[in-house]
Amino acid sequence: MCDENQLQAKYANTGYGPQFVFLDIGLPGKIAVVEPNVAFWALVDHDAVQDALAGPLIADFQRKAEDFKREMDYLRFGLKPSAVYFNPTELCNFNCTYCYLPEKMRRNGKTMTVRELCDALEHLYSYFHRTLPDDSKPQIIFHGSEPMMARESMFAGIEKFHDKFHFGVQTNASLLDDEAISFLTGHNVGIGISLDAPEAAIANNLRKNWHGKGAFDSVVKIMDKLVTYPAFNVITTATSMNVHTLPQMVDFYHDHGVKTVMFNPVRCTREGGKKLKPHNNTMTEYFCKALERTYELYSKTNQKLVIANFANVLMGIAGPTGRRLMCDISPCGGGRCFFALSALGGVFPCSEFIGFPEYHGGNLFQDDLDVILKTKPFQEITTRTVENIEPCATCAIRHFCGAPCPAEIKMLSGTVNAPSPYCKFYEEQVRYAFRVIGQGREDAYMWDGWREDTEETFNLN
Amino acid sequence: MKKERIISYRRRCLQIGTGLSHYILIVSKKARK
Repeated sequence: MCDENQLQAKYANTGYGPQFVFLDIGLPGKIAVVEPNVAFWALVDHDAVQDALAGPLIADFQRKAEDFKREMDYLRFGLKPSAVYFNPTELCNFNCTYCYLPEKMRRNGKTMTVRELCDALEHLYSYFHRTLPDDSKPQIIFHGSEPMMARESMFAGIEKFHDKFHFGVQTNASLLDDEAISFLTGHNVGIGISLDAPEAAIANNLRKNWHGKGAFDSVVKIMDKLVTYPAFNVITTATSMNVHTLPQMVDFYHDHGVKTVMFNPVRCTREGGKKLKPHNNTMTEYFCKALERTYELYSKTNQKLVIANFANVLMGIAGPTGRRLMCDISPCGGGRCFFALSALGGVFPCSEFIGFPEYHGGNLFQDDLDVILKTKPFQEITTRTVENIEPCATCAIRHFCGAPCPAEIKMLSGTVNAPSPYCKFYEEQVRYAFRVIGQGREDAYMWDGWREDTEETFNLN
Repeated sequence: MKKERIISYRRRCLQIGTGLSHYILIVSKKARK
């Protein structure tokens, strides 16, 4: 609770008043005023700056400051794991240029048997049954390598446990035949596929099998079959080779009726990804052009294409607890909202760490999950906060960005306590998000239902 | 463009705690039913 001195404060930045910082957001006539510790913000007209520093905004903020802090603390430190990135196999039929998993693993690795996979799900169910509320269903996301290489085991697990988990599968789509689509959609399994360009030449150069052959044409056919499925999305990994196609990619997806995509900048966790990292300025330029294009198309056609990783940043500002992806917050979701399971039973804070033995927290089949989640490699990630990173500790947007991702940062800097290699890109994304709010365009960029899934707890007006 | 001279709001999620990493799909509510 605020003390009397704080409640009676008249001014920002002196005495008991709040510490507000100013942020240029590139919107004529408006600036952002931010209280970074609790992720509070206000967009202020230039001629209203005095009101923001000495007006009703101070009193309104002070009354809610403790609530904001509690909310951020819960979001950052109070959540329990509720999802698992489940790798049913180490094998992949693709050899994508930027994969974060070691080649040896993907070529010759282990695949779980039906029995092993069901046994793993049983262990996980037993854990979540104990740790989550009864009305909460944990999520299992089959992930890769290529999970469809373990089709028999994976489908048997889904069949047996479909009433105990929400299932999803992230796949390169090359092995999704009609029977598989029918099974997955029939069991309400979320389906994410990967596609990296609107044209075969670039897409096939980035994502290809061991013989160097891509699958652009067949992936597009699969995409067309799935566009009406509500739990479908596409991931495009942005690299130096395809970043310039992001705006065209928007048109491409829009034409095909896709509703949700992610334009994820490639992680530099391994050498392949590092070599393909797009320059921050280039990434920003084309990402923002892509965002602009989604707005134009939505205005013209009323058909929305949500770029979910941006929507998440926008949500982080509009309502921090409404985030659906937990990369852009510190500590990140790794090891505290979700964890990853390898085909050998190894438990890691996130899929990004599966190739790194030093982040192996234990084995699901042999060790107690409660103990695994408290091991040193897990604690290193679950206690990584922006407050311990320079220049993030004093950055105004530190809780809208979170300095992701610890895996790639560790590989680049030798420590997790360093800023993101995409720092400049995040700065610009947050500014873009503030402009969206300043223009009242949130609904054009956010997923449907975002207002219904949230309630307003503060409004100055 | 909004007309207010100062815009500030905050929303709270009604079901906190379902966060995922950037590698996955947003599983829609429709699909969950």
